[in-house]
Amino acid sequence: MNLLYATLGLIALYIYVSFASLLWEGIDRKLVARMQRRVGPPLLQPFYDFLKLMSKESIIPKHANKFYELAPVLALAVSIALLAYTPMGFAPLFATKGDVIVFIYLLTLIGFIRVLGAISSGSPYAQIGAQREMIILVSREVPMMLALFTILWRLNNIGVEKPFSLATFYQRNIWELGTPLALIGTFILLVVFLAWLASEIEVGFFDIPEAETEVAEGPMAEYSGRHLALFELSNAIKMFVSASLVVAIFFPWGISAYVGLNGIPALVVDVLFHTIKVFAVLFVSMSIFRAITGRLRITQAVQVFWLRLFPAAIIGSLILAIDLLGVIA
Amino acid sequence: MNVLPFLIIIPLFGAFSMPLVKLISEKLRDIWAVIISAVTLGVATDVFYTIWKTNQIVVYTLGATTPLGKGVGFPIRIVWEVDLLGALIAVTIAFVSLLAIIYSLEYMKHDTGLDKYYTLILILELGMLGIVITGDIFNFYVFLEIMSIASYALVAFRNDTWEGIEAGIKYMFVGSLASSFILLGIALLYGQYGTLTMAYLSQYITREPTFVSKVALAFILGGLLFKSGAVPVHMWLADAHPAAPSSISAMLSGLVIKAGGVYAIARILFSIYSISLNIKAIGWIVIFFACLTLIVGNAMAVVQTDMKRLFAFSSVGQIGYILLGIGIGIAAYGTKVGDVALAGAIYHTVNHAIMKALLFLVAGAVLHQVGTKNLNELSGLARRMPLTSFAFLVGAAAIIGLPPLNGFASKWLIYESSALYNPFLAAIAILGTAFCTAAYIRVLFTFFGKESEKVKAAKDPGKAMVIPMILLIIAVIIMGLLPWQINDTIMLPTAKMLEESGKYVLAVLGG
Repeated sequence: MNLLYATLGLIALYIYVSFASLLWEGIDRKLVARMQRRVGPPLLQPFYDFLKLMSKESIIPKHANKFYELAPVLALAVSIALLAYTPMGFAPLFATKGDVIVFIYLLTLIGFIRVLGAISSGSPYAQIGAQREMIILVSREVPMMLALFTILWRLNNIGVEKPFSLATFYQRNIWELGTPLALIGTFILLVVFLAWLASEIEVGFFDIPEAETEVAEGPMAEYSGRHLALFELSNAIKMFVSASLVVAIFFPWGISAYVGLNGIPALVVDVLFHTIKVFAVLFVSMSIFRAITGRLRITQAVQVFWLRLFPAAIIGSLILAIDLLGVIA
Repeated sequence: MNVLPFLIIIPLFGAFSMPLVKLISEKLRDIWAVIISAVTLGVATDVFYTIWKTNQIVVYTLGATTPLGKGVGFPIRIVWEVDLLGALIAVTIAFVSLLAIIYSLEYMKHDTGLDKYYTLILILELGMLGIVITGDIFNFYVFLEIMSIASYALVAFRNDTWEGIEAGIKYMFVGSLASSFILLGIALLYGQYGTLTMAYLSQYITREPTFVSKVALAFILGGLLFKSGAVPVHMWLADAHPAAPSSISAMLSGLVIKAGGVYAIARILFSIYSISLNIKAIGWIVIFFACLTLIVGNAMAVVQTDMKRLFAFSSVGQIGYILLGIGIGIAAYGTKVGDVALAGAIYHTVNHAIMKALLFLVAGAVLHQVGTKNLNELSGLARRMPLTSFAFLVGAAAIIGLPPLNGFASKWLIYESSALYNPFLAAIAILGTAFCTAAYIRVLFTFFGKESEKVKAAKDPGKAMVIPMILLIIAVIIMGLLPWQINDTIMLPTAKMLEESGKYVLAVLGG
């Protein structure tokens, strides 16, 4: 019975997140257009795009192998599976101890499937894009993992029910520590996470693999029609999920308790409030970042990850660890 | 009735009857080899099931009902003593051997002298089965030599190729040296204690641990590390595996280095020596070689351009994980961490046998259909050989240790226990996996990339080669879906049973 409810919940979540994430893309495009004194597309533009792509003929290149057609389906399947482990204003549906590894694994797997799909197309543009995506992929996850594990470890030390689960953020959060040192560390990690978010959804500095003007959409160069639509949808879901992670770590507060709700209405209110927070985080990390920065070269991006973000994550983690020792008030 | 002797009788009968069967017809010869190995698998499964169900060590005495001599309190006969670990490895050996033999029906079709080939492959299986069931240390040496000599011959089976002969000679010269170290160790033990039964020897060494017993252990351990392909002595493996026919590579990499190397190390350290020596020091010696093996094996795999050579180095790397598990199992003997590490090592032994066999069968299929194993010439294979590429994808994902497949659970146990025992070791293990991932992703990119001229005419191989691959894929996936159940019901009891050396001794000597 429990499993049945979880399945229904996952389907509901999937429908909701697809809607919300595509809606955000519309808002984002509108906002960026306004920042550049343009009118911009209507809010529902991504939905029109999606429907149009679904109705178009999908052209399979002559050199493509079986995985080319399989990859978009797998990518969407993995992003739906990922929703079951994502904190959405309430604890993830399948929250268990240690589920953070599943979360990171599935999130990375989406990127990897994209890469595989791209090289399966046999196009040199896609190959170059795929190589870049792979380089970014291995660089960006390291600072994020370090920061995430440090925070979970730190929360584990103040006592949680399920250690190393994304559900812990709704029990304890990192601001509860309260000491000045912990605040400094948390702020540093927040910056790391915002930068990671920008690179995960590939905007601004990190729009490198897709690089429209440079390698003609990179990994997606050969995809068209339905297959491209599926990829776009899975990307949108991934964007929402990544932002949800940042929100859950740093801003996990719900409002249902304050307005005195419980049961189903509380869930709905929490999800809506969570969505607003996700939009706010995405506004900072995506819209503004996208509007005011240009693309880096791949070598520069790798340097940003290993020489800026990774040291920042180390410093933030060390500060949190020192705070635990209690040597400095 | 005790079916244990049939584990040896059947392959022996199959091997010795092969030259006669061949006289009747060539077709019958092939079927005969398949039947013999299938029946062996049946017997092995039965032995395993009996031991697993009763949780008792099975002892079989050759020539009498009791191992003890008339009127004396010590064993005078050869005993076969099988605990869960032995039985588990025996099932793995029989399973992979059966698949390798089915695979060779098509793979070896173009070669000549196949009656010798099937005889040798059955003898190889026989030698490995003998190693895992024996409880007598000289009997162990004999079976080790049976296995080794059969594998020398099989590595050099294609004696019209220069690389087969070269690898065979290399393997034989150093392999014989390693075997003679082991023999020297056994001779020293016999000279000191006057017995060859492992159980009795264990009791003796516990009572009076002498310097000689330590020297003997050093010789035996050195020889066995060679047989398992641990790092300073791994060079034969990287030549032997690419040069052998692929069905043989699958057995060499999946089984020979496990039965003759890892299993024997575990047996000798746990059942003969564990309660008599400074186990912490021994554990750290094993851990030292394990770390070296992990790093060097996986790092060397990254730079290879020859597919089978890459898999061979990857085997070296995976042996590092297994040795790490065993080393921690010894160093943290009797604690929870030690149990978990040992269970992880045993689990990884079985898993790696299955997935590396799968990968070598894939390499064989590519070599058979395209005619090259150079990775630079093989790009875009996925379009022409979708099934083979899928098999590779599953095998590679399993060996890296991705969650829905079987490699995840076993590696997780090893990571977890090494992190709890000493975080530095966990860091080394993770580094090894990073190299391993890089190596396999490189091959994956070759498989999926743009089609090259060489692969234009390739297509998937026939049924006899595809069926073993599919069976192995199914095994990988099923074991991956039930990891913790398998761990709790099979691997942990196996590790417990291996650790209780008192029981091992009592099973032979009586209460």
